[in-house]
Amino acid sequence: MTSVRGESAPTPQPGQAGTPQWLLQPELAMCPCRCIGKRTKASYLDKTISGGAGLLRRVMFSDDMAGRPGLLQRIDPRAKILSMLVVLIGAALLHNIPVLLALYAATLVLAAASRIPVGFFIKRVWLFVPIFTGIVVLPATLSIVTPGHVVLVLWYWHGQPQGFTTQGLTTAGLIVSRVAVSISLVVLVTITTTWTRLLSALRVLGVPRMFILIIGMAYRYIFHLLSSVDDMYFARKARTLDKSKHDADARRFVSASAGVLIGKSHQLSEEVHQAMTARGYRGDAIILDQLRWHATDAAFLLAAIATAVMAVGGDRVLGR
Amino acid sequence: MTCPVTGHVHADLEHTGHGGMLLECAGISYSYLERYPALIDVTLQVRHGERLALLGANGCGKSTLLKVLDGLIFPTSGTYTAFGEPVTEETLEDEQMVRGFRSRIGFVFQNSDAQVFSPSVREEVAFGPLQLGLDRAGVRTRTDDVLAMLGITDLADRAPFQLSGGQKKKVAIATVLSMNPEILLFDEPTATLDPRTQLWLTELIEQLSVVGKTIVLATHDLDSLGRLADRCLVFSEDHRIVADGPPPDILAQRDLLLQVNLIHERTALPQINRH
Repeated sequence: MTSVRGESAPTPQPGQAGTPQWLLQPELAMCPCRCIGKRTKASYLDKTISGGAGLLRRVMFSDDMAGRPGLLQRIDPRAKILSMLVVLIGAALLHNIPVLLALYAATLVLAAASRIPVGFFIKRVWLFVPIFTGIVVLPATLSIVTPGHVVLVLWYWHGQPQGFTTQGLTTAGLIVSRVAVSISLVVLVTITTTWTRLLSALRVLGVPRMFILIIGMAYRYIFHLLSSVDDMYFARKARTLDKSKHDADARRFVSASAGVLIGKSHQLSEEVHQAMTARGYRGDAIILDQLRWHATDAAFLLAAIATAVMAVGGDRVLGR
Repeated sequence: MTCPVTGHVHADLEHTGHGGMLLECAGISYSYLERYPALIDVTLQVRHGERLALLGANGCGKSTLLKVLDGLIFPTSGTYTAFGEPVTEETLEDEQMVRGFRSRIGFVFQNSDAQVFSPSVREEVAFGPLQLGLDRAGVRTRTDDVLAMLGITDLADRAPFQLSGGQKKKVAIATVLSMNPEILLFDEPTATLDPRTQLWLTELIEQLSVVGKTIVLATHDLDSLGRLADRCLVFSEDHRIVADGPPPDILAQRDLLLQVNLIHERTALPQINRH
């Protein structure tokens, strides 16, 4: 680096050109009486931003499970995706909670066979279940939405007991177990397959190339945007002396941050496109990996089809 | 040489076919949003095997010029000729032209994050040669060779976005070298790198020059200028070229460097001996 003469002792003199007087005075930082024992908890916004970014990073970018020597890791991603689709369709046709629970148990067995810690797998799945079902299912359990036999009275309306109904709870149980099975299947496939192979498999299965390229890049650049969110949040935190408030200023900060992020992502997308063009990209990306299909992959797919058929058959036998 | 598109057999292009001239800009200007000028009346020539450094303060137009030279943006006025052919939006729509042009010029961006967009380092390095139509086996060999050359074989299966700044820069360089371009454009290659990686990169650029690559780089690294370049172009803050000469001559013109706001009045300039 180019050095600057005399930079080792740049003692600014008061009144020196360009340096305001206040900048040369020490700022009162810590009260001379030191700590006063008052503590403030981190705000909800703080926890949400840093916790959310960290969680997304862990959920989306940890690929250590995909490298373990387990059952699903050995299966071709195309076979896994097709099997997942078959069982997903099967699960969508089921109307009996016990059959769905049996399928859910099967996903747990598969997770264990794939060297995925079952506790971690259950947590990962049940993290998403409330997001997808909570809002829809909760009202459906109440007698005002699903009339029926009230099993838990919450209030009275014109002398009639209102609360959770058997029918509502059964419907909710059905939806929750169906969603749990579906998410378990998706998590099993995504957690045991590296992102590269997953995208290659989708491409081979006929998903348009441009779509694959866009989601591939979106996935990677979420990482950069998360870093930007972290940086912006820490930059603000480093300059925040008082307790964070959820007032108009806080809202302005969030909206301004969102605006900056959009600007940054636009700039990055333009640069990425230029970098691709510079290396000969003309709208049709050619990739290096070619997947190979083995007998075990076909056997796995057949087993998945058989499972789905048996589940739907069993469901029909049990009836509604 | 057989054309990969048409199959026609051509005589090999001689570097000296245009007097050794590879790139030539004549009076080019470029403005962002048609309002903010980035280049004004820039004229330059790049000859085969040359190492050309673009010097100037931030925002003077160095990066814009590199993008023009790589055919990513097009001048609003003036002409740009590469390998004897005019480079315009229209001419780069020609399949043969674009393939030849892209394979002969490689661009290492300043922001490595923009350049590493593939799921793994191996695929990233393979991206360019694959787009240019090389067969997969050949691309695999090239990829392995380049990764080994840059000492990043252990990163091959890592996701590029999870790498450190220095590692990303190495991957970005590997992505360009795997295309084996004749001309390499570097946008502030040593910026944001630690001293060890800076020196490694300086030595790599020297090595590339020795094997006959033409180098054009935008830089603020005056200490390494003598090793990185044998000719410098100095940009003024009003986006014009104000000086052209070898590094010792340019660094001897302290007033000029002060005038273009490249150095501070207390900046100690390195001493470079004329060879």
